[in-house]
Amino acid sequence: MTTRLPAQPNEVIDRSKPLAFTWNGKKMRGFEGDTITSAILANGEHIISRSMKYHRPRGVLTADFWDPNTSVQVGDEPNVRASHRALVAGMAVSAQNVWPSLKYDAKAANGLVGRFLTAGFYYKTFMKPAKMWPAYERVLARFAPGGKVDLDTPHGYHDKRYAHPDVVVAGGGPSGLAAAVEAARAGASVMLVEHEHDLGGHLRWGSNDDADALAGLVAEAESAGVEILTNSTVTGRYEDNWLAIAQRNHPIAVERLIKARAKVLVVAPGLIERPYVFAGNDLPGVMTSGAVRRLIAMYAIRPGNRAVVLTANESGDAAIDELERAGIEIVKVIDARTGATVTKASGSKSRVKAVTCSDGSIVDADLLVTATGWTAPTSLLNMSGDRPVYDPASARFFADSPPDNVLTTGGIAGDGNRDELISHGRSTGRLAAARAGVARHRIQAATTRATAVDGPEPAYPDDTRSPLGRDPHPELFRSTSHGMVDFSEDISSKDLFGAAAEGFDSVELLKRFTTATMGPSQGKLETVNTVAVLAEARGETLAEVGTTVWRPPYAPIALGALAGRVFEPVRVSSIQPWHEANGSTPILAGQWVRPEHYGAPQQEVRNTRANVGITDVTPLGKLDLQGPDVAKLLSQLYTNKWMQLAIGSVRYGIMCAEDGVVLDDGVTGRLGDEHYLMTTTSSGAGGVWNWIENWLQTEHPEWQVHVTPVTTGLTSINVAGPNSRELMSRLVGDDIDLDPDAFKYMQVRTGTIAGVADCVVWRIGFTGELSFEIHVPSGHGLHVWETLLGQGESLGVAPFGLEAQRIMRLEKGHFIVGQDTDGLSKAPTTGMIGLLKFDKDDWAGKPEVAWALEGDYPRIVAIQPTDPSIVPDEACQILREGTKDIVGRITSSRFSPTLDRAVCLGQVTPEFAGPDTTLTVQLVNGEQITARVMQHHAHFDPEGERLRG
Amino acid sequence: MADPPAFESPVVTIGRAAGAGSITLTDESATTKASVRAADGTPAASALGLTFGCAEARGDVLVARTRPDEWMVFGTSQAVAAHLGGLDLSGYASTVDITHSRLMFRITGLAAAKAMAKVCSIDFSDPMMPSGACVGASVAKVGCDIIRHDIDDVPSYRILCDRSFGQYLFDALVDAKAEFG
Repeated sequence: MTTRLPAQPNEVIDRSKPLAFTWNGKKMRGFEGDTITSAILANGEHIISRSMKYHRPRGVLTADFWDPNTSVQVGDEPNVRASHRALVAGMAVSAQNVWPSLKYDAKAANGLVGRFLTAGFYYKTFMKPAKMWPAYERVLARFAPGGKVDLDTPHGYHDKRYAHPDVVVAGGGPSGLAAAVEAARAGASVMLVEHEHDLGGHLRWGSNDDADALAGLVAEAESAGVEILTNSTVTGRYEDNWLAIAQRNHPIAVERLIKARAKVLVVAPGLIERPYVFAGNDLPGVMTSGAVRRLIAMYAIRPGNRAVVLTANESGDAAIDELERAGIEIVKVIDARTGATVTKASGSKSRVKAVTCSDGSIVDADLLVTATGWTAPTSLLNMSGDRPVYDPASARFFADSPPDNVLTTGGIAGDGNRDELISHGRSTGRLAAARAGVARHRIQAATTRATAVDGPEPAYPDDTRSPLGRDPHPELFRSTSHGMVDFSEDISSKDLFGAAAEGFDSVELLKRFTTATMGPSQGKLETVNTVAVLAEARGETLAEVGTTVWRPPYAPIALGALAGRVFEPVRVSSIQPWHEANGSTPILAGQWVRPEHYGAPQQEVRNTRANVGITDVTPLGKLDLQGPDVAKLLSQLYTNKWMQLAIGSVRYGIMCAEDGVVLDDGVTGRLGDEHYLMTTTSSGAGGVWNWIENWLQTEHPEWQVHVTPVTTGLTSINVAGPNSRELMSRLVGDDIDLDPDAFKYMQVRTGTIAGVADCVVWRIGFTGELSFEIHVPSGHGLHVWETLLGQGESLGVAPFGLEAQRIMRLEKGHFIVGQDTDGLSKAPTTGMIGLLKFDKDDWAGKPEVAWALEGDYPRIVAIQPTDPSIVPDEACQILREGTKDIVGRITSSRFSPTLDRAVCLGQVTPEFAGPDTTLTVQLVNGEQITARVMQHHAHFDPEGERLRG
Repeated sequence: MADPPAFESPVVTIGRAAGAGSITLTDESATTKASVRAADGTPAASALGLTFGCAEARGDVLVARTRPDEWMVFGTSQAVAAHLGGLDLSGYASTVDITHSRLMFRITGLAAAKAMAKVCSIDFSDPMMPSGACVGASVAKVGCDIIRHDIDDVPSYRILCDRSFGQYLFDALVDAKAEFG
C-alpha cells in the first residue's frame, strides 16, 4: 500500500518520471528525486535494516545522510546510505546482513541473549584460550555487519583535483549560502560545499516563503560566480586551512577528492537533530522531527497514521503543523518544555504501537516524533584546534576560539529566524572575503612570479559582526528509562552505565571500550547523548565530563577517493618503440621500462661474444659537470684520484656515503678543460645528483661547478663484441678516429655518429668485450639504433636485452651496487682496495672506510658451484659446513652460456673469502651444495684481453 | 654531407585526443632549449635579468628564470644560438643544450588551468600565475617546469620535464583535460 501523499508544494520528486527498482527482489516504483529510502517507504515498507548486534528491525530515524538505520546494499555496492543516495532506475536494493530475510532474521536470536552481549563482551569472552582465536574468528566473521563486497566488482574511476579558493564555505544552508554570496561579491573566489543534493538546509522543507528565499539566494550565488559543490563534504581541515573535500556527484568519477587550500574557511554545517534516549526508541516509527518534515515536504511520504509528538522546540512545533497539514492524526502532543516526556515506546517487533508518557498515560500510535534538541557538528572546529564549549542554557556546544581564518555562521554560531541567519551569513561572508584579501596580499607579495600587489598590506579586519542569539533549550538527553544511544553500534544507555561502573568512566576510554560514536554516523547523532549519559553515571555535568575530539573524516569517504587517480610515472628511452615493435619482453626497472630480452637471452650472449651486439643502456645516470672546480668535486665524491685526469680520458670510481657504505659507482670522462660527463648506476642517478648538490650547496659553496642532469637527453647504446669496432667504423664521422692506438680503452671522444653531431663515445664496457658506449642526443637515438642494425647486418649484429647484459657482466665479475652490495657494504667489501686513496686530503667516507679496513669486513667473491649445472638462487645462504651458521649469501647468479656452467658472485666473511675455499650453499629447497671461491672476480677473461682489444 | 636526421618526438600523439575539445595539447619538444647557469654578479646573469619565477619573450626567444641561478632559453636553433652567442660567459657561468633532455608540451585553452589543477597542486589563478610566470612543480608526480605564456590572451602553459617521461605525462594530460570538453 502506497504511503505517497498528494503533491506537496515544495516536493523534490518529479512525478512525471517514474523509476523502477527492486527492494529485496520485489519490484517497486519511485520517482526521480526520491532517495532510496523515500522510494521504499512510498511502497509501504518501513523496515529498512536490522541492527548490528541484536538484529532488531530498524526503520527511518532521521531520513538524511546521517540516518544510522538505512544502510543497504545496492547491486555490488555495500553500505549505501539509502536516505541520501538518489534513486536510479534499475537499482537492485537489498537489506544487509540478514538471514533468511529482512522480515524474519534468524540472527535476531542474539536479542534473546542480549544481557550477555554487553559492551566489552568480545574482549572478555574471546581472549582465552588464545589458541582458539582462529575458530572464534571464523564464527564471528559470520556476524560481521555491513554488506557484501564482491572481489570481482570492477573498480570505479576516482578523481582528484587541487583548488586554491579564497573562501570555502562548508554548508549551503541559508547562512552558508549568504556568506558565499557576499564573499564572492566582495571579490573573493568562493567554493560552497553542501553535504546534501540541494542547497538550502532547513529551508528545503520549510514554508513557501522559505522556498522563495532559497531560490533567491541560489540565484544570487550563481550570479556572483560562486563555485557550488552539492552532494559534497568538507571531510577534513588541516594545517593552514588545507581542506579535504569529497565530491560525490561528479559526472566522470565515482567520487572525487578535492585538495583545497583556502585562505578562509567558513564553517556553516547547521545543526543535527539529536535522538532521544528512552525504552523502545529504536522501534520503527520513532523518528526525529526533521525526518518527518523532510519525508512529508520533500518526498510526499506519509510517515505514519497516528502520531505522538514530543516537542521541546520550534522544529517539533513545525512538525505538528506539517503532520496536520498532511492529514495525519495527532493523538497526543507532549511538550517537553513543561517537563513532560516519553518513557517508553512499545509495540510489535516491526513497529511502534503505543507510547507511554511520563504522566503514566499510554497512547496508541504508530508514529512517535521527537524534537529534543540539537547537536552542533563542531568537527571542523575541532580540526582547527578549537575546543568547543558546552552551553547548558542552550543544551549544545559552541565554538570557543577558532583561528582567525576559520569563521562560523548559522546554527553552529547561534539561533535566529531566517532573516537573522541570512544577515549573519552575509556579514560573515564579507569578513571572510576581507580576511582572505589580506592573506592573498601577503602570499602575492611573497611570491616573485605573482602579479605585483597594489599598495601596502590592508589592515587585518576585526570581527565586528553582530552575534546570533542563543535560544534557551531544555537539556533533554535521556528519559527515565534506558534506550539506544548508538543506533549504529547497538549501544544502549544501560551499556554505558555498565561500562562506567567497570571503570571506563573517562569519555575517551568509554568510547573505545563500548565503540559508542564509532559507527558510520561518526558520532553526529550519538556523541552528546553518550557524554550526557556518562555525566549522569558520574553525577557530573557535561562540561565536567568533556567530549571526545572529532577527527577527520567528517563523513565517511571511499578509499578510492583517498587514493584518487593513480599516478605511476614510467620512463622509456627513445628506442622503446623499436623494442616494443620487435618482440622484446619488457621489464620494469625502477621507473624505467626496459627490454629484458628479445626471446632468447642466452643466444643474445653468444652472439655478442661471437659477433657484435647492441643494447639500450639509456637509463644509465648521466650528469653534465662544468666549471673550474669539477676535479675537486670528483675527488671529494670518489675514493680515487681525479685531479690529473686528462682530457679525452675516462676513469672508474666508487662513491661512498659519509658512513663509508658504497653509494654508487660509475665512470666519468673529461670532455674539455672544465667539462666532464659523469655516469651513475641507473637507479642511483637521482640520488647522486642530490648528493652532489648537497656537497656543492652546503659543504663547498665556494666551488664553481654547474651540474645538469642529462640522463634522458642522451640515448645510450652499448656496442659490444669482437666486431664492434668494425661496426662503429661504418657509422662514425671523420671526427672520431677508431684506431686502437688513437682511441684506447678507457678513453672518450666526441663527434658524429650516423650523421648525428655532438655524440659522446667511450671505450668502456660492462660485458667484458671490446665495446663502445655511445651517447646520442635523444632526438636522434632511434635513428642511430636503427642505423647500427642496418649497417651491422653483415657483421652479425643483434640486439641484446638486460638479461643478457646481466649474464655477461656476471661472467666478467662486475658487481652491481645495490645487488652485490647492500646498505652495510663499505667500500673495502667490493675488493677495489686499490681505488681507496688515503693519501688524498679528504673524500666522503674516508675515515669510516679506514676503520672498516682494520676490521673483518665481508668480501665480494666469485663463486663456482661444484656441480656446474646448479644455479643457486640469488640470496641463498652460505653456511659454515655442518652448522647453521650463516657466513654469507649468493648475491648474483646465472647460467653462463659462454662457460656452460653456473657463475655467481657472493658476499662472505673473511675466513671464507680465500681462493679455492669450499663453501656450503643452502638452496631454496633446503638442499645443500658445495661451491668454490674463485681466484678472480671475473669468471671469464680475467686478464681483460678482449675488452682491451 | 647528408642532412642531419629529423628530431624524433618523445611521444606518440596519434590516436590520442590531444587536440580535441576546447583545450589543445601539443608536443613542442623539438623546440631548441638551452639552460644557462650563472652566478649573481656575472655578466650573463645581468644580461639575462628577470626576477626568479618570471619569463618574457625577447625577440624570437622566450627566456625564463626557472631557478635563482638558472635560466632557460627557447626558440629556433638559430635564435637560441644567437641569443646565447651574445652572452658573456665569463665568471661563473655555463650553458647546456637541453633540447634532447627536456621535452616540452603546451596546453592551451580557457580551461587549461582547470585541467592543470587535476595534476598539479600549484595555484594557477591569474594573480598567482600570470602570463609570464614560471614555476617548478610536480605534474602527475613528474618533476616539471611550467611556464605560462598566453597566446592572444588565451591561457597557455609550457610544461617541461625529462624526455623519458614523455608518453606517460602526455597521456596524463590528455586524461586531465578530457573533463573540460
